Amino acid sequence: MEPEKDEEAPKIGVYVCRCGGNISDVVDVERVAKTIAEMEGVAISKVHTFMCSDPGQSMIVEDIKKESLNRVVVASCSPFLHELTFRNAVQRGGLNPYLYDHVNIREQGSWAHKSDPEGATAKAIRLIAAGVEKVKHAEPLERIRLSNHQRALVLGGGAAGMKAALELARRGIPAVIIDKNAELGGHIKEWGKLFPTDEDGQTLAARLRSEVEAEKDIEVIAPAKVTKISGFVGNYDVAFERLGEGGKPGEEAKLTVGAIIVATGFEPYRPAEGEFGYRKTPRVMTMPEFIAWAGSQPNGRLTLDGREVRRVGFLHCVGSRQIEGVHKPQPDGRVNTYCSRVCCSTVLNQAVQVRKRFPSVSVLDFHQDIRSYGRGHEDYYIEASNRGVAFFRYHGDEPPEVATDAEGLVRLRMKDYLTWGEEIEASMDVLVLAVGMTPSPIGDLIDMLKLATGHDRFLQEVHPKLRPVESSVNGVFLAGTAQAPMTLEEALCSAGAAAAKAAALLGSEYVEVDPFVARVDEAKCTGCERCVEECAYSGAIVMVEKETEGGGKVKKAEVNAGLCAGCGACVAVCPTRAIDLRGWSLKEFDSMVDGLVSAAERLAAK
Amino acid sequence: MSTEITAGEETERGEAVERDRYDAVVIGAGISGIQSALDLGDQGYSVLLVEREPSIGGRMISLSKVFPTLDCASCITTPKMSAVARHPKVTILVNTEVERVADKDGEKEIELLRKPTYVDNRACIGCRLCEYACPVEVPDRFEQGLALTRAIAVPFTNAIPQKAVLDAEHCIFCGACARACPTDAIRYEQEPRRQTIRAGIVVAATGFKLNVGINKPQYQPKNPRNVISPLQMERLLAPHGPYGRVLRPSDGKIPESVAYVLCAGSRDKSIGVPYCSRVCCMYSIKQAMLLSGALPIADITIYYMDIRAFGKGFEEFYQNAKAMGIQFVRGKVARVNDGPNGDLILRVEMTEEDGRVEERQHDLVVLAYGIIPELESPEQVGLRAGSDGFLARPDSTRPAFAGIEGVFTAGCAAGPKDIVDSIIEAGAAASAGSAYLSQCASKTTKS
Repeated sequence: MEPEKDEEAPKIGVYVCRCGGNISDVVDVERVAKTIAEMEGVAISKVHTFMCSDPGQSMIVEDIKKESLNRVVVASCSPFLHELTFRNAVQRGGLNPYLYDHVNIREQGSWAHKSDPEGATAKAIRLIAAGVEKVKHAEPLERIRLSNHQRALVLGGGAAGMKAALELARRGIPAVIIDKNAELGGHIKEWGKLFPTDEDGQTLAARLRSEVEAEKDIEVIAPAKVTKISGFVGNYDVAFERLGEGGKPGEEAKLTVGAIIVATGFEPYRPAEGEFGYRKTPRVMTMPEFIAWAGSQPNGRLTLDGREVRRVGFLHCVGSRQIEGVHKPQPDGRVNTYCSRVCCSTVLNQAVQVRKRFPSVSVLDFHQDIRSYGRGHEDYYIEASNRGVAFFRYHGDEPPEVATDAEGLVRLRMKDYLTWGEEIEASMDVLVLAVGMTPSPIGDLIDMLKLATGHDRFLQEVHPKLRPVESSVNGVFLAGTAQAPMTLEEALCSAGAAAAKAAALLGSEYVEVDPFVARVDEAKCTGCERCVEECAYSGAIVMVEKETEGGGKVKKAEVNAGLCAGCGACVAVCPTRAIDLRGWSLKEFDSMVDGLVSAAERLAAK
Repeated sequence: MSTEITAGEETERGEAVERDRYDAVVIGAGISGIQSALDLGDQGYSVLLVEREPSIGGRMISLSKVFPTLDCASCITTPKMSAVARHPKVTILVNTEVERVADKDGEKEIELLRKPTYVDNRACIGCRLCEYACPVEVPDRFEQGLALTRAIAVPFTNAIPQKAVLDAEHCIFCGACARACPTDAIRYEQEPRRQTIRAGIVVAATGFKLNVGINKPQYQPKNPRNVISPLQMERLLAPHGPYGRVLRPSDGKIPESVAYVLCAGSRDKSIGVPYCSRVCCMYSIKQAMLLSGALPIADITIYYMDIRAFGKGFEEFYQNAKAMGIQFVRGKVARVNDGPNGDLILRVEMTEEDGRVEERQHDLVVLAYGIIPELESPEQVGLRAGSDGFLARPDSTRPAFAGIEGVFTAGCAAGPKDIVDSIIEAGAAASAGSAYLSQCASKTTKS
């Protein structure tokens, strides 16, 4: 019998990264490389300042060719950052990209053990030794190729959703928008004149809507509700229900798409009853309520409850920048620590509009910081100041107190830090609560797609800079305020970025995914179904009936590579060790343990 | 003096531009331009990425760590640089200025000026022997002038390409580099060359600079050596920075008391920058955090008007900084005066306390200069500027559109912006650009 190819003697190249000092300031990388060089099978053991840089990668490529390496290990940062970078380098060197192991000696080494260089160095040696032993058993793997449905589903037809669909359609990629409301446009319809261009939100929504209607490659399904999503990248099966009048369930239908863009948007923060006087008096209203009310009033005089409005106050940071122990927690027990980004400029914009439209009304502004950060935003701050808006500054841990007085007016008390902490008390006819943004209630969707959320409950991207519009689920992208508070401009940009990623994915008839999925050794499988019970990804491992040689029937486990997430739960429960993970086999784990132990012995001997 | 280069001709610099038409020309290879080029290339469009500096990577590659995740900047930038450099659909031209963007037969025509580097890039192997042989020391631009390099040098450790560039302004033509070069790559006689490229679209990602030279006498003490820019502080904080640790420039003293003056070059009509530069609050907080790690006993004070911690995770980052003991003093610094031993004295009104005016001594001061466009006169090269000097963005439902048919913009070219927002805008510009290209193609097919 001929020896199999992967049985050739390992010739491993090991590369230890200094990370420009991030690692080498703590870990003695030279000693690490020298110690590892003594291991059996290690042909090269080198140190470089930035392995991820072009020269670092080129070194791997050249060494593979010159020294005929057949395995590579890089010890650097978290595999989350650069495993793919080095797999690609290994591939460029002519090796199968999975004959590679990535060892993390930064996040799990130098950064974690800053004050213990000796310990961090020893740990780096042990971890790399484990990587070296693992890679000896690595097998060449091929990425899994799946068919691709070249159209996208956009969930949510607000500004971001419409924009994402438009850009895809204009690229020739069909898009389907599903929205719970009959009319697309989301919240911008409700916000009146928008900063920083003073254009009307309804006009902008209508413009986007008419573009969507004119686009033959966009199908709008609204009002409708998604009821079930299954499948995987390139092949998402989506069941939805058209909603009848009053949100009554109607006809059910299905569609299949290759990618999903989640653009489910935000809801304005709803203050609790009594929070800054809300719902105790109609004179305390939220920003959207104020915009709707003031927008319906004729210019000139402003009246409420038959009484002339002389003074309007705006209170910033309602439902945002909350502090634990100071603010009452939200129903889920958390406070909203985040800044909602748009409220400051919204207040300034509304303050200017009040002064322009109702010159007899004076305006008070109660803030912590004025965050008019964006292009053109500061102009509103300057204009508000020029138009006589009076500003007061409070500290977050001393939120203003709001009450009503005998005449029914709103009274606000606070310490003003623009006048050295002086206690002030102001009465006003209307107090507007500049409420922040909260994510739309999309718990069902989060469960269906297994999306990650942050501490702020908004959807979480994979990495804010490396992959800012991608969710952790392959083929699912994020657009607009579902991810975080944003202005209209920012939401449209994020929709464009998501469309670019989706277009790159949907441009091909196939998608490729990592090969780290379970595989079943049918000879060992007893058909006990423990794996199916344990599997968290519906349909990823199933029982199928097979014919035995004797003509009988037995049940054997079978893996659906598209659905399998490679979590290993089935491996752990299999009583006969019949299941293994490609790229993370039990043999590889065993050898890693051997590597850790032998390195520890080697270190102890020195 | 310049000679025309025609397509396909292999140049002395080894950066043969294979053809004279690309689907897209991206101007500027900072993080925004790189991301736009990647997002266009990934969709199958051919891209020419043009950079005026000798390396791609822009400002981001010189930063230490980035807020609010404290990832090291190199770790995020180098893989993107490497990916774009290896992308089969992307061609990169460094040392190249865009002189003009014009319309021609429904497409864009881009005039390029390829500056001489006095090195034949086909021959240069980036060994740096020329750099070691050169006797002329010049301020290192990558290190923000805090260190010296040579008149011929590879721009920095992780530069792409790894090719030496000769600084003709400082070169004494002694011939040492030519003698040291093992591949005979030095070309003293190289001249600028012009080249015209056609493209379906242009993405302008021309970036920003700091208004370090602003005329603000209040912030100009007689001895300004210990008044540094935030980009200089980035280098001091970078693990592979000029000194390997944080020292003040005048005497190498380890700073004990560092001050940040926010809005030093922004929100100030008197210097023509009334707008907010958007990132200064956050990078100052980030630097303060890194400083308190690097200099555990130093006092760090941030003087501010408003803390604009508006982005995802920013407010939490700010609150952490406060909890770490970084001092936040509200008040715009009125003056930066000379103090004893190279120290500086800041005059500031304590608006949060009793309004008294204090003079506070610090041994190192960082001025948060304002962000202004790198491209000074967009109109001169055929682009459109807004009233603030940044590239125009006239259509609110098409934010990437730069006001000229087929031209899109991303990143700080269109206003100050953090890295996350720049990367997202780069994606938006690529998306809008590819949609435009796609529409053009379908029109052509129909007609």
